[in-house]
Order: sequence, then structure tokens, then C-alpha cells
Amino acid sequence: MEATPAAPKQKSSRRAILRPMAATTYLLRNSGKTIPLIGVITLAVLLVCGIVSLINSIPFSIRTIYRYTQQTLAITPRGDASQTPKLMERIKEGSPVPIERMVTARAAGSQVMSIVGKWPFAVLGLKQEDMKFWLDRQNVRSIDGRLPQAGKAEALISAPVARNLNLKLGSDLLGPDQNESYSPYPVKVVGIANCDNWLMLTSYEYIKANHFPDVDAVLAFAHNLKDQEKLDKWAGNAFKGERAQIFAYYQLEKQTNEMFNILYKILNVVIGTLVLVITFMMGMLINIYQTQRLVEFGLLQALGYTKRQLLGRVLRETVSVVIFGWFFGVVAAYFLLRLTKAVLMDPKAFALNIFDPTAFVYTIPIPVSILIVATLTVILKFRRFDPVSIVERRLA
Amino acid sequence: MIRSVGASLEYSDHGRQVFACRQVDLTIRTNEFLGILGPSGSGKSSLLYLLSGLKIPTGGDVFFEDQSLKTLPEDQRSRLRLHNFGFVFQQPYLLGYLTALENVMVALPDQSLREEARDLLEKLGLGTKTHRLPHELSGGERQRVCVARALLGRPKVIFADEPTAALDHTNGAQVVNLLNQNRGEGSLVMVTHDPTMLEQADRIVHLNDGVLIED
Repeated sequence: MEATPAAPKQKSSRRAILRPMAATTYLLRNSGKTIPLIGVITLAVLLVCGIVSLINSIPFSIRTIYRYTQQTLAITPRGDASQTPKLMERIKEGSPVPIERMVTARAAGSQVMSIVGKWPFAVLGLKQEDMKFWLDRQNVRSIDGRLPQAGKAEALISAPVARNLNLKLGSDLLGPDQNESYSPYPVKVVGIANCDNWLMLTSYEYIKANHFPDVDAVLAFAHNLKDQEKLDKWAGNAFKGERAQIFAYYQLEKQTNEMFNILYKILNVVIGTLVLVITFMMGMLINIYQTQRLVEFGLLQALGYTKRQLLGRVLRETVSVVIFGWFFGVVAAYFLLRLTKAVLMDPKAFALNIFDPTAFVYTIPIPVSILIVATLTVILKFRRFDPVSIVERRLA
Repeated sequence: MIRSVGASLEYSDHGRQVFACRQVDLTIRTNEFLGILGPSGSGKSSLLYLLSGLKIPTGGDVFFEDQSLKTLPEDQRSRLRLHNFGFVFQQPYLLGYLTALENVMVALPDQSLREEARDLLEKLGLGTKTHRLPHELSGGERQRVCVARALLGRPKVIFADEPTAALDHTNGAQVVNLLNQNRGEGSLVMVTHDPTMLEQADRIVHLNDGVLIED
């Protein structure tokens, strides 16, 4: 009579001597049971980590695409184009932080691709003297090509935009036949800026001559970049209810968070259900496996091992399975996300954080809940356990 | 060494009170081979479980070196078994995923006893099969591994509960011989219904309906 099923045959001469009561011994010698258990946890962690990372990539994309707005405060007058100089005066007088520079700008509309469809993107029109400052502010490392000339149908885009829209030097960024990126003349790409931010830049003069509305926007740059948010928030309060519209990064963050609030609640329900199902399934599997080991536990207890020792051993085994499963799941998720990023995201410059800490945090309930269920299962089993019934073959 | 004083084991069977053992007074002396003989259902195994602390008497008490097993907490009773007793059961219970050598070492989780475990297997004729898993051994070989497990660490008392029940007569006699020859200074308490297995016993007691009749 064997207490538990045996391992495969014909390896006796090469079989290593293991510590019989070590948790790893059972796991190594019963790989037929250990591997499926680890596999289920690995797949669950992979699934949760993958789903959360991909969902998070949507707001991450929004923040990445519009991150250039972090560098400046933009204000446009409402209904009265003549207000622009007054707005500039108000900022100069009321700003709580030193202002590095204030410039007037114009904008035309274009679009970029995201993983959830097309999003609007501004082609900023700047004067020649402001372009260099703007590009420095956006941490542009170098430019392939050149800057757009004043009044010419020319544009500079950043490398992520070029990848996203598959544009090269000489391609049309705007044009008369592009419904969503309209301009009366084909606006050629003459420069590609090497930086991480998404940028579209043309000359102030070209937009003024060819695009509605005939309104100058104000761009205000805090002297210290760390103070930009302070300036943005001040402007948000100072111009509330007035004939001016604020465009600032903190507003974008707030809108993004509000927009995804419901989605994250749904995500929590989905992940919670998934964890529940996996835990239930694992609980049943562990219960079956432990029931199959009753003879082993009975024998060991009869020989003199305490229930606490046996429980400790089973828990060490479970902890090992859970930790290995979680670890392999995280590693598998990393490689899957890396592959997804390389194959699907990077060619279009879509944002995906393969080290998303939230995604990894979301996976923690899986091992924890499995461990809790396994522990309770084993404790309940040991509570009603009589080794004599085993050695007397009443349960064998 | 072990003393039962009026030890009884009573249980309820469908509302009816049944005595598995009734007021058993028995002393197991150091280094003796005690045979407990009796027909099937006479309470032999129950008495063995009482003497070894696997069961707690419902009446009377059992003492090991003057320590009451009845009042000893379960964990301490388990430890006492682990460090002082060896067991051989009716069926050759072995852990299927452990080799013969590892199964012997289960008796005491002390890696320093590995060589002793190997020596025991050698003595019991399993020197070439130490790395085999239980399913690679015959029934007699498995029971010999159980014997080696019971002998590891030189326990003070070895309890054998019908160790020959699952074996033919030749293999059964061999197992009894091996137990008796290798027990060193330890006592051997063997329960059986086959008197021929107790030819080497120093003393034989009979049990009938849970009542002890000493020879």
C-alpha cells in the first residue's frame, strides 16, 4: 500500500536523495500536480496583468499624446479676439510664479491615431523667434530637416507623430483633400524633431493666413518648469467665468481620471470576479490533492508528526506553488507585454507601460486569496482527522 | 517502561456502548519482546494504539516512563511517539513519491541519520534498492522498508500491528525476525492472530473481547 501515487519508473539509479519532509520534495516528485497548479496561477496573473496594463495604456496614451501641454499654459479669448493683449497683461500682473516667456500662437486642427480611434491634435502656429524656445522647452534633442519657414505651407512634427501617422520628410501633414486635417494647401513635413513628446508645429503666419478662427492664443511659460502647474491652476481660478478658455495639463489629467472612473470600476468587478473564479477553482484542486494525501498525513501523524508540523509543511508547499506561480505569471506578463509593445504598439507610437505598477498590484489578490483558501481547506481537514482511521485502513 | 493501569477504550456504536479494551493492566518491560495474541476483533490493535498513545483511554491510564499519556497534550504525545516509538502497521504504508531510503528517513527528520538509514536497509537486504520508489519494490520489500523506518534512531519501543498480515508466511516470518534481531535495546510489542509469528517472543498475552489474559 502506498500512501500517495508514485513517480515514473526506471530512474532509480539516478534519483537524488532529497530531504523527505522538505516542501520542495513533494513538489518536485509530484510535478504532474505541481505544474498544473503553478500553471493556473501563472495564467491568471498573466491575464490580470495583461488586461490591466492594456486598459491602463488608454489613459496613459492620452497623457502621453498631450504631454506637451505640461510645458505651457494656453489661453484663448472667447467671443472677442481683441481680448488677447488684456489676457497677457492679466497673466503678467497676477501670475503667482515668475514667467519665463509669453507668446501669441495660432492653431489648426489635425488628428492622431490611438488604440481606441482617432483623437484631435493641434498643429501649433508659432512665430520664428518662438519656435526654438518652444522646441527647447519640449526637450527636443535634434531635428532631422529644418524648421518651417514663416508663411510657408510647411510643418515640423516630432518622431512619435511621424511614426503614428507614418509621415516622413516631404509627406503632407495637412492638405485640401484631408477632411480631418484640412488646410487649403498641402502642408509638407520639413522637419522631424527627435523627442518623446508629440508635437505638430507650423508657422504662425501660415495659420493666420489660411485658417479660422482669426484669434490669437496666449502661451505662458513659467520660468521654472516645476511652477508650471501652479501657474496653470492659478489661471484656471483667475479666469473662471470670464471670456477666456484655459487649456492646461492638469485639466487633461482631471478629465482623463473622470472619464476612466467608470471603466476602472468595471475593471475592478471583472478582476474581482476572475480572482474569485480562480480561487474557487484552485481551492477545489487543492482540496482534491490534499484529500488524496490523507493516507500520507495519517501515517506521518501516527509516526509522531504533530498536526502543526504537517499543516506547516502543507502551507510551505502551497506558499512555494503560489510564489512560483505568481513569479512566472509576472515574468510571462512582462514578456507578453514587451512583445505586444514591440509588435503592435511601437510601430504606431502607442503608449504601453510594460512595468505598470498598478497592473502588478492587481495580481496580488490572486496568490493571497489562493493561500487563504488553501490554508482554510487544510485546517478544516486536519481538524476532523484521526490517524488511527488511516493506519487501520478505514480511510485508506 | 510502558504501563497501562485499568486502561479501557469505549466507543459508541449506533447508540450502543462497546468496549474495545476493558480495564487492561499491562506492563511492557525494557528490551522485551511482548506478543499480544487474539482473534480478529478481540481489541488487539486498540490496545496497541492505547499503549502507543495513538488513542487516549476512556478509562484508566497509560504511562510511558511514569508520564501519563492521557494528560499529555496532543502535540507532546506526538513528539513522544516520534522520538521514542517505532511503528510497523498491517499494510506497508510508504510515501509513494519518496525512495526507500527517504521513506526510512521519514521516521526522524534528522539528516545525520542518513547513514544509519542506509545501514538498516543494507541489513534488511535492500542495499541495492535504496533509490527505488515503493512501486518498484515487492510487497515484502516494502514491509522491510517499514521495518527499517521503525528501527531508525533506535526507538525505545517498536509497535508492530499485524506486520505480517499482508505477507505470505515466509515473508512474514522474515519480517518478524528482522524486527527482533535489529531492535537492539528496544522493546518490541507485536500484535498478531498468528501464534507462529510469536515464537521468539519473551512473553505472550492473550486478548479476548477486550479483556487481557496473561500467559
